[in-house]
Parts: sequence; structure tokens; C-alpha cells
Amino acid sequence: MLEPLRFRGGGFVIEPKRHAGWIAGFAVIALWQAVSSAGWVSPVFLPSPAGIARALADLALSGQLWRHLSASLRRILLGFALGASAGLAFGLALGLLSHARAAGLPIVSALFPIPKIALLPLFILWFGIGEPSKVATIGLGVFFPMAIATFSGVDQVPRALIRMAQGFDVPTSAIVAKVILPGALPGILAGVRISASIALILVVAAEMIGAEFGVGAFILTAGNLMRTEDLLAGVCLLSLLGLAVGALVSLAERRFLAWR
Amino acid sequence: MRPIWIAAAAMLALTLPAQAEKTSLSVLKLASSGPVFLAQDLGHFAAEGLEVEFKFFTAAQPVAVAVVSGDAEFGVTGLTAGFYNLAGKGALKIIAGQSREEPGYKLSAYMVSNQAFAAGVTSPADFAGRSFAMTQVGSTFHYMIGLLAEKKGFDIGKMRLLALQSIPNMVSALQGGQADTAILPSTVAVPMLDRGDAKIVGWAGDETPWQLGALFTSPKMIDGKRATVERFVRAYKKGVAAYDLAFQKKGDQAATDKALDILSKYTEQQRGAIAAGLPYIEPEARFSAKDIAKQIAYWQAQGHADKTVDARDIVVTRFVRSLD
Repeated sequence: MLEPLRFRGGGFVIEPKRHAGWIAGFAVIALWQAVSSAGWVSPVFLPSPAGIARALADLALSGQLWRHLSASLRRILLGFALGASAGLAFGLALGLLSHARAAGLPIVSALFPIPKIALLPLFILWFGIGEPSKVATIGLGVFFPMAIATFSGVDQVPRALIRMAQGFDVPTSAIVAKVILPGALPGILAGVRISASIALILVVAAEMIGAEFGVGAFILTAGNLMRTEDLLAGVCLLSLLGLAVGALVSLAERRFLAWR
Repeated sequence: MRPIWIAAAAMLALTLPAQAEKTSLSVLKLASSGPVFLAQDLGHFAAEGLEVEFKFFTAAQPVAVAVVSGDAEFGVTGLTAGFYNLAGKGALKIIAGQSREEPGYKLSAYMVSNQAFAAGVTSPADFAGRSFAMTQVGSTFHYMIGLLAEKKGFDIGKMRLLALQSIPNMVSALQGGQADTAILPSTVAVPMLDRGDAKIVGWAGDETPWQLGALFTSPKMIDGKRATVERFVRAYKKGVAAYDLAFQKKGDQAATDKALDILSKYTEQQRGAIAAGLPYIEPEARFSAKDIAKQIAYWQAQGHADKTVDARDIVVTRFVRSLD
């Protein structure tokens, strides 16, 4: 007598849990506020969420919020656009051309691990205290992860697809545009996600030197003035920017990778 | 018990009170910290039964933070907006004076880049509307340009204030002409002038005297270890008196030489450089509470200090009398 086999599949499937993230976030903030309200930690060492919210509200009401945000966004967008497009072009060259790969890959590997923040004083000598040195810091930080993501994205396009297109005698330019680029797009978008976060990290470093406005300058000034509420309010702004960037990249993935 | 043990125990009991109490001081390796170095080296702390461990920092901010975090029991350094924000939250109390900007004491120089000098910025009054390099927002340099603007009647809002985070960055910005003006300590300013890298057009002490530095501690120390604070301040005042005798009264050349040697040892600077940039320190370590209230009011007006900060809560005149 055979018993029907019990279904053993299932599990290990990540299902979307829409509310869990919000609930966890609120629980952490509520606990933090409770600890602060009870007076267990001094506001000097850890300001309360309410204090941080008040600092954010003050910033928004004074009109300074937009001034800081717009200054940082301009630097991030410009630096990211320059760095990412150069990285994309360089990564494509690394992926497609043998000579470029042989010559370029060691250079990328040698320069990528250099902390861009350490080069900041040099950038000031080259580009001055103004905007160019800040944009260059962000641009250079974005360039390398973008180049590497593009290069490995191109490398991971299935050879069979390329061979098939070649079998149909499709011209090389069309193979690049219609097979390799779409095939490399998941890798490239992953690169965009990482390098956009790096741009957010670097804007704080870039605004260390001589910036009057900007989220990074605001955070540094708050640190200099020992205003921990403002400092964490600025950090919250950066986190929100990070979330926004992540959402934008997800949107792009849904839009451009629908064919998968 | 044998008599010999009793005798030994009695001797131990006698030696115990003489054992030095350990305390700590956060401090910068600058000539302005001279009194504490003198008090240490001349044995004034030891005479009060204190064994002081120095914790050295490179900027005023960490000196104050170290006292708040409990890493040091006392601190002595320049007064910044960050200091007042910490003090306003009930974390710091000023108990004695340190350096002051005074006429005739060449401590902080008004500096102009060669390019800006050629373009007509030849006196402190010409700083109006120019770019100004400083270390940080809320720093002593920031306050001094604010005082200058107030005295000369120009609008600091029309200047471009560049926070460059460090003195070396300020030097290179001034050299390269990326900043028109700056205020720099004489130890940095004079060598720059000698190399022809920038011009000195005046001294902050001559234009705008003010209470630059202070000795401070945490409220916990004042409430819990009042006797220790009293002994520390007594020894500190002897250090200040030694500083005054050596550098301000200047009657005793041997004392001056010895004090210069001590300062040179602790600050790791050449005797000549120290002698050229010695600040004024009130001979009885007194400070101006009125000036501190003025500083707080200025930072509040600029939006750099919290509105709740009150000078009366920060200044303690129990150990050393106020000047005013």
C-alpha cells in the first residue's frame, strides 16, 4: 500500500510582506523615544526622535532645508552624471575590446581601492575650493564601481545569444545595441544602485571643504557646533535621499527589465 | 598582634592620605596651555596631592567633548559655539580663565592673500565683503571675524565664510588666493609672512580683546568632588602666577628661561616660536563672565547656539572671582 507522498517543496520563498518593514521601523523609533522620554540616556549623548523631528521641522520652516538639499542635489547629479557616463563608456570598452581590457583592467584595479576622500586636498589644489573639486570627488567615486559593473555586466551576456546573432549575420553595431546592451542592463543597473549610494556618501566628504550649503556641510556644521539633533536630522535627510534613489533604480529596473 | 605589625599598620595609615589622588586634564599642546604645564612641572599639582594625567588633543572641540564623555575630569582650551551648546545642556562649567586677546599680545593675526592685498585689502576694515578662511563654523576664528565686523561696522553676512576644517587647509587656501582673508595663530602667520606667502595686516588683540579660553569641568565634579576641584584650581592658579612672573612681569630672567624650557618640552615647539606667540593670561586666572555672556549672545544671534543656553548656568565664580 503506497501512501500519497507529502508535498515537501515550499518554504525558502521570500514573499512580499508589505507592512513588516514599516512596523519594524516604527517599533525601533518608539522604543528609542521611550528610552529618551524616560530619561535613561542624556540628550547630549543620544537625542530623542522627537528632538530630531523638531530639528528637521525647524530646518524646513526656516527655508534652509531646500537651500541645503538643492546645493547637494546639484553636486550629486552633476558628479553622478559625469562619473557614471564616463564609467559606462569605459566599462563597455573594457567589456568589448580586447586591447582596452588588457590595458585598462589593471589600471581600474589599481585605482579603485584608493579612498577618494584621501585625494580631497589634491583636488582642492587642482580644482580650487569651489564646485569643481566637489563634483570631481563624487564623479571619481562613481566612475570606478560603474565601470566595473558595466564591464562584468557585458561579460555575463550569454555567449549563445551573441553567437546566434552572429549566425544570422547581424551587423556588429546592432549586436551591441540589441543583444549586449540589454543583456548587460541588469548588471549596469546594479552598478547604478551601488554608485548612487557612493555618491551620497561622498557628498558629505566633498562638502567638508569650504561649502556654505549642502546636506553634508549641514551635518559637518552640526558636528562642529555639537548639535546632535541637527546632526542626526541631516543623517535622516541622507537616508531619505538614499531611499529615494533606491526607489528610482527599482522603477528603472521594472521599466527596462520587463523583458526578463 | 605583635607590636611590629601595629607599627607597620600605623605607618601605612600615615602614608595613605599622602598618596596622590589621580585626576586627568584634556588639553592642547599650545603655549596658551602654559599654566597647566608649569603647574605640573613645578610640582604645584603634586603639592595639592594631585597626580594629573594629560590627555592631548589637536582641536578645541575634542577637549570639551572629552570632559563631557568622562574621559577627562578637567579641560582647558578656547571657547567655541560647540562648547556653549554642550555647556548649555548642563554638561560643562567654566571655573577659571585661560588666555585672553589683549592689546600688544600678538596671538591671532589678520591675514590677507597676496592677490587680495594687491587688490586693496590692506587693513582689517577692508575685510568687508571678502572671502574668509576659518577652521570650523563656531570656532574662535569665526567669533573673531564676527567681533571685527561688529567693530568696523560691516555685514558679516556679505562675507563668504569658508569652513576648511584645518589650519593647513586655511594656509593653502590663502597661499593659492582661493581665500582673500583669514585669521591665523602667530605661530603659523609669522612664518607665512616671512616666506612671502601672505600679508599680516593687524592683530586681533589690538582690535577686539576678548576672553579666548577657560578652564572647565563637569557639574558632576563640582557636586561630587568639590575638594578635588578646589585643589586643582589652587594649583592651576599657582601655574598661572608662574606664567605671569615668567612672561608678563618679566622681572626674573631665570624664571623666564625655565618656563620657556618647560613649555617647549610639553608643546614640542621651539623656544623662539613659543616666545613669539605667548597669549595674555590674567595673573589670578580670573575671567570675564560678562564677555562670556556676550559670546553666547553673539552665537545665538547667528543661529549657532541654542536659545536655551544661559551664561549664568555655565559660569561658576566660586573658585575664581570674575573680572567684572
